[in-house]
Amino acid sequence: MKKIRSWCLGLCILFFGLAGGVALYAQGAAPAAAKAPSTADAELAAAAAKAPATADLAKGDPGGTITGTISDVPAADSKVGVTLPDTANQVGQNKIAINFVWTLVTGFLVMFMQAGFAMVESGLCRVKNANHTYMMNFFVYTAGLFSYWLVGFAIQMGGAAGNGNLGGLQSLTPEHTFTLFGKTWGMFGGSGMFLSGHQYDVGVMVIFLFQMVFMDTALTIVTGACAERWKFLTFAVSSSIMGAITYPLYANWAWGGGWLSQLGTNNQLGKGYCDFAGSGVVHAVGGLTALAVCLIVGPRIGKFNRDGSSNPIIGHDISAVLIGCFILAFGWFGFNPGSTLGASAAGNLRIGTIAVDTMLAGCTGTLGAMLFMWIKNGKVDASMSGNGLLAGLVAITAPSGFVSTVGACIIGLIAGVLVVLSCSFVENVMKVDDPVGAISVHGTNGLWGVLSVGLFADGTSNYGGSWNGVTGSVTGLFYGDASQLAAQLVGISTLIGFVFTLSFLINLGLEFFVGQRVSVETEIAGLDLPEMGQLGYPEFVFKPEPSVLLNAEKSYAVA
Amino acid sequence: MAANKSQGSYYTLFLVGATVLCAGIYLGGGMGKLLLLVGAIGFIASLFGMLKVRSLEGPTAMKPGPGAMKLAGAAVVLLGWGITLFGMHLTPSVGGRIITALVGIAVSLFGIVVVLPGAFNKNAVWKS
Repeated sequence: MKKIRSWCLGLCILFFGLAGGVALYAQGAAPAAAKAPSTADAELAAAAAKAPATADLAKGDPGGTITGTISDVPAADSKVGVTLPDTANQVGQNKIAINFVWTLVTGFLVMFMQAGFAMVESGLCRVKNANHTYMMNFFVYTAGLFSYWLVGFAIQMGGAAGNGNLGGLQSLTPEHTFTLFGKTWGMFGGSGMFLSGHQYDVGVMVIFLFQMVFMDTALTIVTGACAERWKFLTFAVSSSIMGAITYPLYANWAWGGGWLSQLGTNNQLGKGYCDFAGSGVVHAVGGLTALAVCLIVGPRIGKFNRDGSSNPIIGHDISAVLIGCFILAFGWFGFNPGSTLGASAAGNLRIGTIAVDTMLAGCTGTLGAMLFMWIKNGKVDASMSGNGLLAGLVAITAPSGFVSTVGACIIGLIAGVLVVLSCSFVENVMKVDDPVGAISVHGTNGLWGVLSVGLFADGTSNYGGSWNGVTGSVTGLFYGDASQLAAQLVGISTLIGFVFTLSFLINLGLEFFVGQRVSVETEIAGLDLPEMGQLGYPEFVFKPEPSVLLNAEKSYAVA
Repeated sequence: MAANKSQGSYYTLFLVGATVLCAGIYLGGGMGKLLLLVGAIGFIASLFGMLKVRSLEGPTAMKPGPGAMKLAGAAVVLLGWGITLFGMHLTPSVGGRIITALVGIAVSLFGIVVVLPGAFNKNAVWKS
């Protein structure tokens, strides 16, 4: 009996021991169950298993259905495979990559506009100045880029951190500010000189390239207005200074977190000053600087008669002018749609609307100028038609991100008529000689474009839910927000009052030190040989200039 | 005389001076101040060099205009901007700000369209 009891006790101990061991094993296994693949990871693993094998891909993919699968998503841990965090990271990088590529490619388009400007400006000049005018358009790219890399970018974008489209650009900080009436206002950027230090960043490089080509567009506007008499040395110095100071300063105020963009948050004026792609920042700055330099450099010999009437000085190549206009119109698809700084997320799918607005405004701008000249003079004026196209494009640049197609058509049509009236006013009332009409195309219509935002913005755009830090969509007077018009008027006043004056004083200083204008001897001979050492078209035989110009040149030569 | 070697030299000095000056601002500290000084000297020297060779060129088709009137014109243009800015703090109403901005723009345009062309065209060479 005692023996049986001992056996039972032994069996019980064995049973409880086994039970305890099983329980302990179960406790140990519980954490392992928590680490088991989630549903999403399991689905990802299943997708990875179904992904085409190397052998499948080796057969080719004519339908494009097996290229670009989960196999192309990099896994943080190759043993585990692609997980949900890996996928989310890849989605984020894809968004930024799309925006990088979009911004870079549109920047390349804007860069190509330099070729269009060169053809338009040279074509509208006389053949004896062709090389000089082409060379100014060529060198302005170098002069502007170098000075922008030195300091211009830092002034403009050195405090512009926070752009989600390009990954945040967090290294672009701080913005130098000042406090007035208890409010803080941005003045200029504080980082980014030489693109060194913390600014050696992939996103910063993208925004540098894009902003640089915009800056260069503004610089090249001046070369056309001052063509045929502007000394190359003075042009080079003036352009370097403009790329370093004048342009970046205003661009910071509008785009870099400066005080104009803060008019909404600080003064409750709409969404602050809004200039989507640069009617004001690029074109009005260029056009007003062109006016300042044109005043100083004076009219070409023979342009005005003693009684103040003007003589037409015909350009040498209308085909170059019109082809140049088309190149510019093509480049404008980089200028305006590219100014979203992205094609993915944050309302950036509006790029299609922006591109169509751009096309339509160019179309109605051409119509406005061509029909006006046809009705007024009985002939279609080719160069003015080209200027009408450009005027429409300039005017739609600021509002392109905020207006409907009907608004774009109206803005372009007004611009086309405005450019003709403005050219006449500048020449016949102000007695300012602008060989290519740059002051009217870019200055007058740049200002019109800025104003039109305050009138025609329809409140349908939504770039991430806010603009310039103010929640909501940009809405103009015709759609119920007068305060946006007030912000635009402050911007226009700053362009006319500050930017013009700054450009004027800088170039007045250069007139003292360097001298803006070539000598009479050089001007009569044409600037190609004296300034460039080579004719633009050395094997051509040129017909003499019209008698009115020859007589004027003779009188200067005698004097 | 037109473009010449001296112009090229002084433009090179201008670019080098500006680059060194910017490097001085960027670096800061003792070395930065030294570069700032050297760059500023180079920059200013280039401008005076350009002034020196300017006299080698022949006369231009321009006559000197009234300098004071030119500066007065610039002052009027700047005044218009001042009116606009002052107007922003003068009144909180949107209508008031629009009116002051328009007045400011009108004053600036008066300077650009009337005063400055008047100054530059007063002794314009095409009048004689």
